[in-house]
Formats: sequence, C-alpha cells, structure tokens
Amino acid sequence: MSETRTTLIEIEDLTVKYPGRRMSALEHLQLQLRAGETVLLLGPSGSGKSTLALTLNGLIPHSIGKLQSGHVRVAGLDTRQTTVATLAQRVGILFQDPEAQFVMFTVEDEIAFGLENLCFSPDEMERRISDSLRLVGLTELRYRRVEQLSGGEKQRVALAALLALEPEILVFDEPTANLDPQGTREVFDLLRRCKETGRYTIVLIEHRLDELMDLVERMVVLGKRGEVVIDGRPREVLRAHLSTLQGLGVWVPQVARLAHVLQQHGWSLEPFPLTLSEAAEALKGRRAFRAGHQDSSAPLTSTAVHNDGQQRCSASPPTRSEPDQGEAAIEVCSLSYRAAGRQVLQDISLAIPRGALLALVGANGAGKTTLAQHLIGVLQPPRGCVRLLGRDITTISARELTRHVGYVFQNPEHQFITEAVEDEVAYGLRVMGPPATEVQERTRALLERFNLLSLARANPFTLSHGEKRRLSVATMLAMGQEILILDEPTFGQDEYNATALLELLWQLHSEGRTIVVITHDMSLVATYAQYVAVMNHGRLLFYGTPAALFTHAELLAEARLMLPPLAQLARRLGWSDLLTLEELCERCLQDSARELAEPLAAADGAASVEGGRPCK
Amino acid sequence: MQVIYQEGESLLHRLNPLSKVVAVVPVLLFVALTTDPWLPLAFIALASAVIVGPARITPGTFWRLQAPLTISLLVFMILYPFMVRAELFDRTPVVLRLGPLVLYQGAVLAGMAAVLRVYAMFLLSLIFMLTTDISDFIRAMVQQWRFPYRLGYGILAAFHFMPLLQEEFRLIQAAHRIRGIETHSGVRVHIERLRRYAIPLLTSAIRRAERTALAMESRAFGALKQRSYFRRFCFSRADYLFILCFWLLCLLVIALFWRYGWMGPLSFTKEL
Repeated sequence: MSETRTTLIEIEDLTVKYPGRRMSALEHLQLQLRAGETVLLLGPSGSGKSTLALTLNGLIPHSIGKLQSGHVRVAGLDTRQTTVATLAQRVGILFQDPEAQFVMFTVEDEIAFGLENLCFSPDEMERRISDSLRLVGLTELRYRRVEQLSGGEKQRVALAALLALEPEILVFDEPTANLDPQGTREVFDLLRRCKETGRYTIVLIEHRLDELMDLVERMVVLGKRGEVVIDGRPREVLRAHLSTLQGLGVWVPQVARLAHVLQQHGWSLEPFPLTLSEAAEALKGRRAFRAGHQDSSAPLTSTAVHNDGQQRCSASPPTRSEPDQGEAAIEVCSLSYRAAGRQVLQDISLAIPRGALLALVGANGAGKTTLAQHLIGVLQPPRGCVRLLGRDITTISARELTRHVGYVFQNPEHQFITEAVEDEVAYGLRVMGPPATEVQERTRALLERFNLLSLARANPFTLSHGEKRRLSVATMLAMGQEILILDEPTFGQDEYNATALLELLWQLHSEGRTIVVITHDMSLVATYAQYVAVMNHGRLLFYGTPAALFTHAELLAEARLMLPPLAQLARRLGWSDLLTLEELCERCLQDSARELAEPLAAADGAASVEGGRPCK
Repeated sequence: MQVIYQEGESLLHRLNPLSKVVAVVPVLLFVALTTDPWLPLAFIALASAVIVGPARITPGTFWRLQAPLTISLLVFMILYPFMVRAELFDRTPVVLRLGPLVLYQGAVLAGMAAVLRVYAMFLLSLIFMLTTDISDFIRAMVQQWRFPYRLGYGILAAFHFMPLLQEEFRLIQAAHRIRGIETHSGVRVHIERLRRYAIPLLTSAIRRAERTALAMESRAFGALKQRSYFRRFCFSRADYLFILCFWLLCLLVIALFWRYGWMGPLSFTKEL
C-alpha cells in the first residue's frame, strides 16, 4: 500500500556541517519519505538523527548549520527557498527536554505562542487551541501553569502546541528520554493516537522500542558518519541486520534480540516477531508445533547458552533471598525529610547489604534522589538515621565520607573540576596525599581500566557523552570507594555505551563493592539488579529481589512502574518467574531439549543447562 | 519578579499590568523627592492598605515578603546617625552621648527619613510586583508600548531559565563537594571555586539556551515582522478608574500634608 503513497519528503545527497566542526553531521544522505508513513530513525549517538530532524523544518540552514551539498524538499518545497514560517506549518518537532521547549507560563499561552507567531486571528486560534488540547486530552488543564505539570503532561502540552500549527509531518526526537515510565506511557499513547488519525507522517527517534514497534512501518538506520546504512521494513531489517544494528550500538527491540538469540540456536520464529504479542504468538505456536512433531534442530549445549548469556554468569554472586542478611553497607532507619512544605521522604527504613547491587526505582518526584542525597551528606540526616559501614553518618566528616562513598550525578559535567582527564582522576587521590608516583600509577591504572588512557590530556568537557560518563565513574572510584551511587547512569546513552557501563558496574559489584543505581529502566533492574527498592510519594513501597517485585502487579501499578518487555513476554507465556533475555532463552531451549531428551532418556545438554543458574 | 508574584483573582490582579505601572510610578518618583520622614510614613500606610485590601494579599504573606528588607533597613537606620558626617548635624540638639559617640537629633531624623523613603518606595512597587505576572507585564508592554517582541519573548524564555539555573548551581555545588574539594574558606579559594562552578554552569546554560532557541524557532518565532495576539491587552474602564482613584488618593494625602506643613522640603527645594 505504501507504494501508492506520494513522496512527501525528498532528501537528496544531503551533507550538513555545523560551523566550527571538522566533521560533517550528515554525509551524502539520500532519503525519501512517503505521505502517511511512520518511520523509525535509528543511529548511534552523534550520527545526526536530530540534525536530520532540523533539516526538515528548515532550521538548518536558516538558523544554524550549513547545507554543504544536496537539498531537502518537503511537500515539493525546497527548504532553502522556503521560510521557516511556512515550514513550521508543515513540520512539527517534539524535542527531548520538556523544560527547554516552553516560552510562556500557562498551557493556553504556550499553545497560542506558535499561532501568534504566524499571525492567526484570535477566533482561529481559539478553535485550534481547543482542538489540539482535545487531541492530547488536556482540555481540563488549559489554564494551568506549565511548571505545575508532570513531565508527561509537559510533553503533551508541547505536542499540542505543535499540533495547533496543523503540520502534516511530526518528528518525535526522543520525546521520552527525560520522562519516567508513567510519562513515557502517556507520550506513547498520544503517539498512537496521532498515528490513528491518519493525518500525519511520523518520523520517530526513540530508543524504547518494544511498545512502539507495531506502529512502525519503516526503519531507517544512520551510520556513524551520518549516512543511511539500512532502510527497510522493520521485520526484514531486524531479521537480517540485527547484528549490524548491535554493532552500531543502537537500541533494538528486546523481542527482536530474543528472537535472534533463539535463531542462533536453530529456532527460527515465523514471522520474525517485532512486538510482544507477536513473540508470544510465535513462541506459543512453536511450542505447539514441538509437542506435535518432536523434530530436532541445532544441538544444544550449555556453552552455547553462555555465549549469549554473557560472562556475567561466572561472576554471579551467591543468591540471597532476603536483603537484610549479612552486614549492612548502608542502613537507613526511619528517615523522614520535609522540604518546601512537602513530605519528600516519609519514614524510610532499609538496609543495603555489603556488596549488593541495588536499583532504586519510582516515578519522578518519588524521593529517590533525595534519599540518595542523604547518603552522601548533600542533605544532612538527623543523628541515628543513616549508618554507613556501621557508623552514624553524622559522625563522619565530609572529607572522610568522600573516601567511602562515590556519587555519580545524572549530568557528569557537574562533577568535573579540572582541565584534563588525568587530573580529574588524580584529584581525589592527591587530596589524600600519597606520594606522587603512586598517584600517577593509580591514575594510569584507572584510566586504562575505563578505556580513557588515550584521552588522558583531553579536557573533560570535550569528551563524548559515553566517555564523560565513564570518566565520572572513574573519578568516583579513585579513592577506592566501597559504595558507589549512580543517578540515572544510562540516561541519554546509546545501547553500546549503556551496556558497556552496566558491564563495568557489574564487574565492580563482583569485586565486592556496594552499588546503588537510581533508574527508570526496568530492563536494567531485571538484568543487573540484585535487589530493588521501590519508592512512591516519599515512601518505601517495596524492598526485595526484582523477581519478587515483578510478581506484585498491583504494587507496580501503584508505583506507576511497568514490567520490562521481556518479563511481560514471559508472563504471557506463563513463565512468571523469568525476567531476562538469558533466562527466557534458556527456558525456551530447555523446553525443547526436554522434549528431545524424553525419548532419548539421556541428555547431556539438558542436564548442563539446568546446572547453569539464571544469569543475573 | 516572578519570584514574589502571588497568584490571585483580586481586583488588582485583574487590572492591566501597565495601568498599575502608570498609577504607581509617578507616586514613586514623588516619594523619592521627599526629605522628611512623615510623608513616606503616610505612603507606607497607604501602600500597605492597598496590598492587604484590594490586592487581597494576606497580612502573613505580606509580612513574610517584606521582612528581609525591613530588617536590613532597621539596621541601616540604627547605624546611620553614627556613620554620618557629624558637622552636617552638629547644630541640632544632642540626643545621646556615649563616650566619644554623639547622637544628634538631625542625624536620627535624616536616617529615619532615608529609610522610610526607601521602604515606602519598596511597598509602592510591591503593589505592582505582588499582583502582576511577569509574562502579562511583558506581553502588555509588547502589545501596548511597542516593546520589541523578539526581545520581550526572549526575556520571558529567560525567566524559565532562572529556577533551572538555580537548581543547576545547587547540583554543581553538591557535586563538587562530593569530589572532596577543600572546604576551608578564604578569598582566593572562593574565587577559584566560583571559577570552577562557572564552566559547567555556562556549558549547560548555553546548551539549554540553544535548545530553547531551536524550539522557539521551530514554532516560527521571529519568522515574521508582525505577530498577532490571542489575548489582547488594553486599558479598560476599570484600569482608568484605578489610575484615577490611586492618583486622587495620593494627591489628597500630599495636599493634607502640605496644608498642615508636615511635608517638609522636597530634595530640590531643600537648601543644604
């Protein structure tokens, strides 16, 4: 059907450069988008996805950047010869940061802003404002002040402001990156509604893909230099090029990853699943098929599982069922905190055992960061409320505290205090005052470990996003801190960098350090966390293992959290105890192995698979 | 200004922001010219009455908002007679002698006059500040007084920045403290510290500004010379009435004081 659609956006041989940069942001890009299409645009960080978005509404070249070559035509209009005013009525871009998009102070004024810029009459504005508010479902918030809205509501207002201009093309540039799970869901629902109206051509830049894949009709993947590497229907792209995508470091739907791993074991799922329902169907069908035929595919060995199950298995700690066993690294005892007339923390008690990897989850404003700030002396807890490594935190001097606890802020730049990467790492060491040679040695060792040695002389602010994050973790370990707290460590990172960082955390955890991760990423919780603490409205709602948490559907709903995609899939298949890709894969293979083994009565493979504990 | 704006639905809240400016500014200028303490005192009473009366600000909120200035002014008032050049007032009677310190009546009165004058001006401007949303004020200026709209809306966007930057500053401060930065004080350490804060603060401010600019331009901001307005700001009958009443009231006060000789010389008629 898409073949009959007319071409709406035509990009030919596009090369874009920003002034002051050596590399071009996009290179000889060739792309045609048809009217009504929903296109997912993927690419590693720095591949020019956002740049491409800005070329569509003419901000490149009219406001920033330069078209070195080529041209962009939107609905037949060459963007070079068309004013931004005209293009703004064709293309609306929803940006990542809801805060940075607002000019006015109330919802109504904010929506009117764009219309006023284009000199619409008040009557027309009234019509469009109420229409767009209705579409995003915020009619009752029309007179609210924007700062009182939640993150999800802010993005909906921002979208309403775009929809009021009645564009035919909507670009979503990572609209959920700054949002908690609840806000993400709101935005996705809205995206779905936009798609259903059939009025819009949608270009989507996103990395939480599992809930969206049913909307996507086409996938376009940009390479590192900003050229189109892959372009096709999602099913074909994910089936044929998944390893290329993973090599580029872009996020892919987890269902597709699972299907791919299974494929490597000779399990081909038909059709190649893109969404949870498809995967559930395919796997159920597969099981039924198996039960009927008993045919065999590739031989199964436990090493094969472990190749994909990753080396983390070997480092898997002895499983503890209760968080309160063992000596506590951090002990919080009925901690409450009020700020600006609001109860931010209410009677929080928890004990984090030494060497644990704990995930702290909850909606925005639930009190996660506030709690963490009590553990590092940014906020002062009352005496006797917080014990660190067995000592009351109020008796530990600020200087000494930094030697025991490292804290990685959401924005790593906040922590940089010197002008070179190596000084950054050495700084903490020097404060302690060991001999210079030792400082040098330890700095080198840390830089090497974090793969930053080649950048030792660079200014921290010039590093890439992933490098900055690694550096900030390195600086926080320089003094041999035993406890490490990280605020949203995977925020804004591509798959490659996020996974690299998490593997690093896992290593540190295996060395016996206590790690607390504040996160919205439930897949991270499922895959890496040993324990999870759920906060909601300043209270501790749950503290236990991820597996236990995921069995409490009503608790998850109360805390406005969602099951990670693969755990959802496992539920649909009736395996409610499984959380991760490795576990799911293992169970699938185990099932088929058992069926194989039954008639043969002897099964090395199955036995060894059963021996391998679920990979954390 | 956004910081002390109190949301509300009172008579004054509903007025056009500019009518409040028109009403208050001439009075403010007049008070600036007074030299005796008595007339400012009357305007303090008048402004307070307007704030808790037609502006419907609760006395508690009003007290809380003006307390910091009151305290610093009181300190100033106490210190002033001791700090001022004695030969200016040594012809006036002595109120108090504390060893080498001599307190002249003239100095006390002059200190009081200065403080009350500043306080009266502050309260008069509070009438405007407590009841006016900054975005309304700027939009009204753009619409009615031909303030350049690109600049005006730029300022509005900047107002969104302030709390974010404050938050950012707080975070950077905390982040640096966690790095184990020396906590001892001293001017050089302090300057060094501010320099260190400046870099991350500036990078994130610039990044944020860039994003906001892109978001604004994506919605055709500045694309056309003209702009239309959803909400028209204009002076209604209530606005004219308010200006008139406020002026009349103030004139009445001034006339009474002048008639009974309490006004004292204005600064340009006063001879030194």
